[in-house]
Amino acid sequence: MSENGTAAGYADLGLTVGTPDIQSVGPIAFGPDGILFVADNASAAIFALGFGPAGPAPDSQAFAIDDLDGRLASRLGCAREDVSIRDMAVCPLTKEVYLSVMRGSGSAAIPVIARVEADGQVVDVPLEGVPFARTTIEDAPDLGDERIDIQVLPDDSAEGEEYKTGSGVRLRLLRDGLRTVTVTDLDYVDGTLLVAGASNEEFSSTLRRIPFPFNGAAQSNSLEIFHVSHGKYETASPIRTFVPYNGGGSILASYTCTPIVQFSLSELEPATHVMGSTVAELGAMNSPTDMVSYRRDGDEYLLVATSRLPLLRIACSDIDGQEALTEPDEPVGVPREELSHPGVLRMTNLDDGSVVMLQQNGAGPVSLRSYECAAL
Amino acid sequence: MSARRRLEIELSAAEGSHRVRLLGLPRETRQRLATLGEQELAREFPVYAREHLAGEAPDFAPMAGRYEVDSDAVTFVPRYPLVPGLDYAMVVRVAEGEPQRLAFRLPAAPSEPTAEVLAIYPSGDRLVRNQLKLYVEFSASMSEGQAASHVRLERADGGERIEDPFVPEPELWDREHRRLTLLFDPGRLKRGLRPQLEAGYPLQEGVAVRLVVDTSFRDAAGNPLREPFARRYEVDGDLRDRVDPRDWECRLPHAGTAGPLRVRFDRPLDRALLQHAFEVIDAAGRPVRGRPEVGPAERSWSFTPAAPWLPGDYRLAVDPRLEDLAGNSLARVFDRDLASDEEPSDPSLEVVSFTLHALRGGD
Repeated sequence: MSENGTAAGYADLGLTVGTPDIQSVGPIAFGPDGILFVADNASAAIFALGFGPAGPAPDSQAFAIDDLDGRLASRLGCAREDVSIRDMAVCPLTKEVYLSVMRGSGSAAIPVIARVEADGQVVDVPLEGVPFARTTIEDAPDLGDERIDIQVLPDDSAEGEEYKTGSGVRLRLLRDGLRTVTVTDLDYVDGTLLVAGASNEEFSSTLRRIPFPFNGAAQSNSLEIFHVSHGKYETASPIRTFVPYNGGGSILASYTCTPIVQFSLSELEPATHVMGSTVAELGAMNSPTDMVSYRRDGDEYLLVATSRLPLLRIACSDIDGQEALTEPDEPVGVPREELSHPGVLRMTNLDDGSVVMLQQNGAGPVSLRSYECAAL
Repeated sequence: MSARRRLEIELSAAEGSHRVRLLGLPRETRQRLATLGEQELAREFPVYAREHLAGEAPDFAPMAGRYEVDSDAVTFVPRYPLVPGLDYAMVVRVAEGEPQRLAFRLPAAPSEPTAEVLAIYPSGDRLVRNQLKLYVEFSASMSEGQAASHVRLERADGGERIEDPFVPEPELWDREHRRLTLLFDPGRLKRGLRPQLEAGYPLQEGVAVRLVVDTSFRDAAGNPLREPFARRYEVDGDLRDRVDPRDWECRLPHAGTAGPLRVRFDRPLDRALLQHAFEVIDAAGRPVRGRPEVGPAERSWSFTPAAPWLPGDYRLAVDPRLEDLAGNSLARVFDRDLASDEEPSDPSLEVVSFTLHALRGGD
């Protein structure tokens, strides 16, 4: 057993103290022992950062903070429009809210991890001298792979770099710097980091499963994911956001084109297809932004935030009972109810009894509020 | 009593950090300050971007940074660099009366538009109705978060804007932030989904469109583009079958020459994927060194070897992920009709190859 959030405990999990070379911050999620996983799309990596708890978790905590982006901008010494909040996660040990934030844009952009304290103050978390580990999310090309992502150039070429093969042959290679994976969402379930991503080239859907602790580069495996719409067509499409479900045995995923699809993750071998079924469609020209599941009166519910519609609530018992949709004109799949919470950007569980949301009305300031599950 | 000196701010930069020095404090004040800790100094000399100081005293946290006190000044070293051109103030609370706000600003860097759009792909002049993506290639690294507002698709006839044709986020870039991938909303391309039924295809067969990148698209330094860029496309019907190398035409070079191997496709293929979809392999299974090139309108590909071809067998390995304009690949069609006789996709298919015979002799 690791000791929760101590240096020794983190060392057991493969974290070493230093300054991680984080170039950008995107989706974040907490794992065991106060470890925050941070997707860095600029360097195609995922970092595990050990943010040990400073103190015991409070019994309960509520947030009602207006102008969160103004507070961040003030702390970071920049204009409000130079603050871009990328994701939110709650530390299960301390119930503190963490944010991934980019300050500025282009070559001046600086990645920041910020923490919202109980008194509403927003502080940036120093990233020097923290326990951390790193794993890559690149489709790392190698010479043994017949599907070569690298080009062999003439020896006198000025481009590329020299590479020595196992048999001692020297080749000049141009590594493919074009294909990237952009992490769209990640979550941690029982020793495995689930990472959904989109390629900037091929149109595909893979879900990487990366065991944690990270044991080297080759440990991740991908599932190719298809979904069947209305029993008629099968497509592979990148996942925009997902939420573990059934205790992590399956996930509910949502696509850029808004169907909600259920996949079972159990009994799956690497490099197999996962076939998911559409359980709900939310409509055209709409993009999902986040999902969260919670329990109320013993029943599990799902909240879905999208770019165009009000916040939606779906009872998970309806998902379990939903036959895969077969007719596009019998619309919508599972029943859903509209909630009155406007402009939800991100949601996550604060604790068993409440959900915390980032909300923004139009281009106005961003607020951070917690809501009791009993009222959702 | 000595006359009170005027308080003033002096800006400098050292070792990558900005330094904000407050000069003109009375000596006895400085002596008192030397005994204070960081947090007390932060309370006495908080620094804010001016916009966060508007109105009453803010309850926002001041800028993160550290303080130093020496014999001349109190110095604030911000944790994050000052933003050029942004107004800042240090609030000084030591003197009697109202706190003073001492303004300062780093001059805005001179801005000169230098970046431009080099190309938009496909480089041909035709799209298909179920077109999956376009690529915009810039001459320099660009800022993120610009695409939704500064790239638009419009009808070529009247300029009427086509609403929300692309997936807004995440923005998909290459590592250098020089090539932007514009993904058409897949929900409107996939048959059987409600977005497709409700909103229809973003493109219409026979209705020409224009993709416009306006000059306000900022480069990585925050400067606009040198000039706008527009490209017109005719729109054809749908493309819904797998890419099949058996439909390609190969023109084989002669052995003993270093002439190019040319492959002509039955349809335009995806520009980005074409750049690394092929590998020429010799009879011994070794990759052949040489220079690949994508042909006009992405209709062909050629490979010029570094050394003359030898007589014998070669293979051309093709990445099964290679897609056409509608996202159909060697491995599968974009969306497979389960009721049709189309072959199911084959997940084990990793390499498609065919044999090249280099011709003997010099005829």
